[in-house]
Amino acid sequence: MSNYAALPILFLAAVIQATFIPQIRIFGGAPDLAFLFVLAWSVTSPLETGVLWAFVGGIATDLLSAAPTGASVIGLLLIIFAIDALRRQFVNISFLLILALLVGGTMLQKLVFAFVMILSGYEINLFEYSIYVIAPTIAYNLIFALPAFWFIRRLKPRRDGRVTP
Amino acid sequence: MNSTNFRRGWRSNRTVFLTLSLMIAVGLILASQAGILSPFEELLTAPLNAVSGIFNRTALAVTDNVNRFGDVQTLQRRIADLEEALALYQTELVEAREIVNDYERLSDLLDYRNSIRDQETITADVIGVDVGGGLRTIAINRGTRDGIAIGMPIVTGQGLVGRVIQVSANAARVMLITEPTSAVSARLETTRVEGSIVGLASGNLLMELIPLDSPVREGDLVRTSGLGGNFPADIVIGQVTSVRPSERGLSQEAQVRSLINFDALELVLVVTNFQPVDLSVFEESPGS
Repeated sequence: MSNYAALPILFLAAVIQATFIPQIRIFGGAPDLAFLFVLAWSVTSPLETGVLWAFVGGIATDLLSAAPTGASVIGLLLIIFAIDALRRQFVNISFLLILALLVGGTMLQKLVFAFVMILSGYEINLFEYSIYVIAPTIAYNLIFALPAFWFIRRLKPRRDGRVTP
Repeated sequence: MNSTNFRRGWRSNRTVFLTLSLMIAVGLILASQAGILSPFEELLTAPLNAVSGIFNRTALAVTDNVNRFGDVQTLQRRIADLEEALALYQTELVEAREIVNDYERLSDLLDYRNSIRDQETITADVIGVDVGGGLRTIAINRGTRDGIAIGMPIVTGQGLVGRVIQVSANAARVMLITEPTSAVSARLETTRVEGSIVGLASGNLLMELIPLDSPVREGDLVRTSGLGGNFPADIVIGQVTSVRPSERGLSQEAQVRSLINFDALELVLVVTNFQPVDLSVFEESPGS
């Protein structure tokens, strides 16, 4: 239950993503708050809650954008299952692995999103999209990862501690 | 218990779980594209948009203030740059005005020089002005090395300035016609009436010894007459501004205003081919 109570944060992240973040974007890139929160949550959470966060975070982001609902979900789901696979493989996810997840996950998320958009009828030049959207977003996500992970870490024990003895 | 085991079972099979999740996501996309989700999307989007509106206004206000702060800094830098440029241009403007003034003065002198073909002149800079002391004089940067001699007339485009009274190798002192001890033989241009121009303590000029029956009008131009041999004839001295009988009532005297500002002289011409005539020898008594 504690995992679900924190879900409104994803909606807040989506709202911030649609309002404040465009003010600081460079080229087409911007920090992907929903992605960062989902990633930060999933690294230390069970697969089921991670999948839920991926759905909620993706849908919240899509609701406030022109993308069809669910477009952001697929990439997030793939990342969640990748994290789960890595966790079973390495037991503990190291700092370097998190960095790799941030870079690879951002690329995966954005590319899957681009493919979904292309399939939905939008015209996206993947080369320009990679340079002007994916690359800046990776840089932004690397910068914003620390506060996002810190925030989720601060959030989890408190809620876990309060609900789960 | 069986239900729990079932749930744990499909959850533990990651491939099934992933496939099922992806199918749901793709189903969402397709449903959204088909418009089936529109009522739910509108239901969820309404509160999100309301919150977004508040956030957006706040974000825009913050951005606006940040931009304004940036604009203020940019404007301050721009103002500083413009002030610097203005100071530079003002300096250049002063220099340009100075050049224009020099040009006008030189142009006047050149015009005058061209108008007096019978006179040879050299240009001299005024290097000193003494109008507050005992004598109203100026110093010029030409002397005997330049062919300057005592008695040579000094003129400008506006008229007669005075004559050389002292000369050294590279400078000369000129007594202005406004000096009270100066006397210049003059005549009115229109009526050819003769008189004598003297300086007043006030710095003005007075034409004395005008016969009572001679017509004198305000605005008449006064020129040197050449009588007495101190100055060449027909150099402009000034204009009559007022006329009155002399104190003794034996003649008339006229206030004359020179066109020259004697306090701001910078360039003058020295008439070098004029030799003053010394008539004092004729004033000595025949027996002496």
